[in-house]
Amino acid sequence: MPMVAHESEHSVNDIQLITRVVAGDAAAERELYETYVDRIYRLAFRLAGDDELARDFTQATFIRAFEKIGSFRGESSLSTWLHSIGMSVTLNGLRKTKRQRNREAPMEEGLTVGSAKVEAEPDLKERLARAIDSLADKYRTVFVMHDVEGYTHEEISGTLNIPIGTSKSHLFQARGKLRVMLADFAPEWVS
Amino acid sequence: MTEQNFEEFLKKSAQGYNAPPVRVPREEMWSAIQAKRSSGPQVVYGGGATYLIRHRFGTKAWLGAAAAAMLLVATGVGIGRWSATRATRQNVASALPQQPVVVNQPANEGVGSSQPGEASIPSAGTTRTAVERGGDRGGKSSVTAVAGANGVALPAPAPAALAPATATPAYQLATVQHLSDAEALLTSFRQRSTTDQQMDAQLGTWARQLLSNTRLLLDSPVANDPQRRPLLEDLELVLVQIVQLSPGSTPQDRALIEKTLQQDHVMTRLRTAIPAGAQRGS
Repeated sequence: MPMVAHESEHSVNDIQLITRVVAGDAAAERELYETYVDRIYRLAFRLAGDDELARDFTQATFIRAFEKIGSFRGESSLSTWLHSIGMSVTLNGLRKTKRQRNREAPMEEGLTVGSAKVEAEPDLKERLARAIDSLADKYRTVFVMHDVEGYTHEEISGTLNIPIGTSKSHLFQARGKLRVMLADFAPEWVS
Repeated sequence: MTEQNFEEFLKKSAQGYNAPPVRVPREEMWSAIQAKRSSGPQVVYGGGATYLIRHRFGTKAWLGAAAAAMLLVATGVGIGRWSATRATRQNVASALPQQPVVVNQPANEGVGSSQPGEASIPSAGTTRTAVERGGDRGGKSSVTAVAGANGVALPAPAPAALAPATATPAYQLATVQHLSDAEALLTSFRQRSTTDQQMDAQLGTWARQLLSNTRLLLDSPVANDPQRRPLLEDLELVLVQIVQLSPGSTPQDRALIEKTLQQDHVMTRLRTAIPAGAQRGS
């Protein structure tokens, strides 16, 4: 569900909604939350791969949005502004989580030494997931937003605060890397 | 064609990547958001979050607390000084002996007897007429001396003479002499060389003697005069600053004294308090 298609018709409603929220209308806060929570949560989940993290990121996004909505100047749509906060919260949160997991990883690896567990050849779904996970954050984010969640480059550009050309470039890079990593499955898309 | 196929294949296959649950936990997240907002920063629409009072206290409130504490201390000191002065006057009125107690001081007492105005300062080679009393301002001394100009012992005031706002002519004379000396000191202070540390030391000694006399006068009936008392108090402050001026003091220290002199118009008030024709202590 691209955001652009709804931005023009939502703009008036967004202004009214923001006005009510700024005025302290609790119902308006809930309405704003209900309008955008699904997309924020879905994107956070796609990037985090964990329900608990996705919830934390979504909650932090709305808490921060309610704090800062008075400074919203309308330079972008409310949806873009909200997604921008969401992506900032999510990516920063993931970086922290990644650092934490990296610190814990050596200990866990030490415990499994000698088990010599031979894994079966992963199927396409698992290989694809690993390949996407191995992408750099900037490529993975653009790829997930565009190819998985269906965001346009304009939306990605506004949300991540990068030029549209950069968004396209990152997507191209991501696809290229995935193609190499999934070369074993080439017959599937060639056919 | 292969490229297009790959993109379509990728989009289709990637739909299963970190697939979110069908049901978004809206209510749970909303409850958590409300809980966090009620316990965390308070939302103030209009540009940011205002933190709870306990957070703000750590950053700025200590300034207000410090100001309040200073105000409290200043008020306490003021009340204490005011009440001590009143109590002293009452004690003097009730316990004043009929005969004055004469205190003889050695002729060479005091440092810097060659300083200007020294000859007329009662503490140097003069006989003081002192009045024993039950209490004293600040409890530093149990004797209040009434200095007479030119070494002439002044008669101890009768109890009735302490009550009125106006002091006896003897007190007036001693006060005028003292103020003249103070003016001479302050004039010397303002005109001295800033690099002459020996001069600073001499001025400090001179100021210390004048400070003692100023405090004596503050405890005398002269201080009942509503115009004289503030002047003596301001003079006391300036003299304390000069006494505390060490030889190695910075120009800022001297500038501070100059500032006090200018702000309180001490010199102008001193000259106004000295009647025309009175001998200046220069």
